[in-house]
Amino acid sequence: MVGDSAERPLPAARRIGADPESVERGLVCLVLTVVELLRQLMERQALRRVEVGDLTEAKIDEIGRTLMALEARMAELRDHFGLDPADLNIDLGPLGTLLPTDAS
Amino acid sequence: MSDHDALWVYAVTRPDAAAEPMEGVAGGPVRLVNVADLAAMVSPVDLAEFGEEPLRRNLERLPWLEATARAHHQVITEMSRTSAVVPMRLATVYRTEAALVRMLVARAADFNAVLARTGHCSEWGVKAYLSAPRSAEPAAAEPAAARSGQGTGGRSSGGPGSGADYLKRRRAQLAADQEARHSVAASAEGLHAELCAVAEAAALHRPQDPQLSGIRAHMIMNATYLVDDRRREQFTGTANRTAELDSSVRVEITGPWPPYSFATTGPGP
Amino acid sequence: MTEAARRDPAIRQEPIALVDLLDRVLAGGVVVAGEVTLTIADVDMVTISVRALVTSVSALAGQQTEQF
Repeated sequence: MVGDSAERPLPAARRIGADPESVERGLVCLVLTVVELLRQLMERQALRRVEVGDLTEAKIDEIGRTLMALEARMAELRDHFGLDPADLNIDLGPLGTLLPTDAS
Repeated sequence: MSDHDALWVYAVTRPDAAAEPMEGVAGGPVRLVNVADLAAMVSPVDLAEFGEEPLRRNLERLPWLEATARAHHQVITEMSRTSAVVPMRLATVYRTEAALVRMLVARAADFNAVLARTGHCSEWGVKAYLSAPRSAEPAAAEPAAARSGQGTGGRSSGGPGSGADYLKRRRAQLAADQEARHSVAASAEGLHAELCAVAEAAALHRPQDPQLSGIRAHMIMNATYLVDDRRREQFTGTANRTAELDSSVRVEITGPWPPYSFATTGPGP
Repeated sequence: MTEAARRDPAIRQEPIALVDLLDRVLAGGVVVAGEVTLTIADVDMVTISVRALVTSVSALAGQQTEQF
């Protein structure tokens, strides 16, 4: 269907100023993005490892609970800084974005 | 033309191109500079504002850039209603008419080739967005389930097997995400293929930066097409029809544009 | 473009979005030379490199405060 571009626009002037608050926020975004990248990489690696099938049930359970805790911690950190999951990304220009953009 | 005037160049067209008087960038009157069977559309601009240094500075001021880009586009579009045009890139400024003429002589074959290829065509932009989340359910359920298994501290105190359950959920979620990405890519590819069949040429671009476009929806395709004007209705009809078949995709068509994206004249950037 | 074409309902009549316009006028159109540095002896043309501009406009969009 042909739609119109009537999506709610982002704030027209999302100022990237030099005030301490926004500098800090920028740094927080950057750091959390990197942490999120690592979390996703570890998660994928853990899933592959589990699929190989040579881990004990206890070990699998421990890995799962650790990852679960990590994800919860990330959510807490995001909430604390008032960030959406979509805020944690870095655009590398021609290389695309650092984290996959959520298709859902 | 005063000593301080340079020439802003909008586009190249034919000398017999008829146009009503127009004001261009900085309000200067638009006229034609004819060279053989080509004509450059120009208007005078002041070097104080459009010389190399001031131009560099001004192009970095978004309000100035916007006003100038719109004026530039307006002139080109007006002429394109009645004549074939080859748009020039924004900020093509000549200090002297003689230099402009030399360029037209040197590049005549290129301009004629582009006019032959695009003169009977217009450019159309087609952007596609996801109009609805494709895998919302599992994602929404995920954080709640994770937190319900979470203890008070950093370490989970979920019961035995909760870690294994979590991993199962995550594997399913990632598989669903990948499925969604494939599905999205297939939608975009299908739409693009349908449109290419009706177009003379096509170019795919990166999705637009949401900060620039102000649109939050996920853009899955950003393409431009060179469409013969006689096939215009067929093209827009195909885009609308293909979009209707896929309710998860929203299609936005812009056009007709002068053929900005198809004006390359051979070796060059 | 004919009158009939301009009345085509599929054609958007809304104002042109700046991002769509800049995509075209900055990255499209004919470029007749690369960057040319003006010299006193041969000052016949000014062309500004807009490639860098295209990638930096997103930063500029956040900076439209004081430069009026």
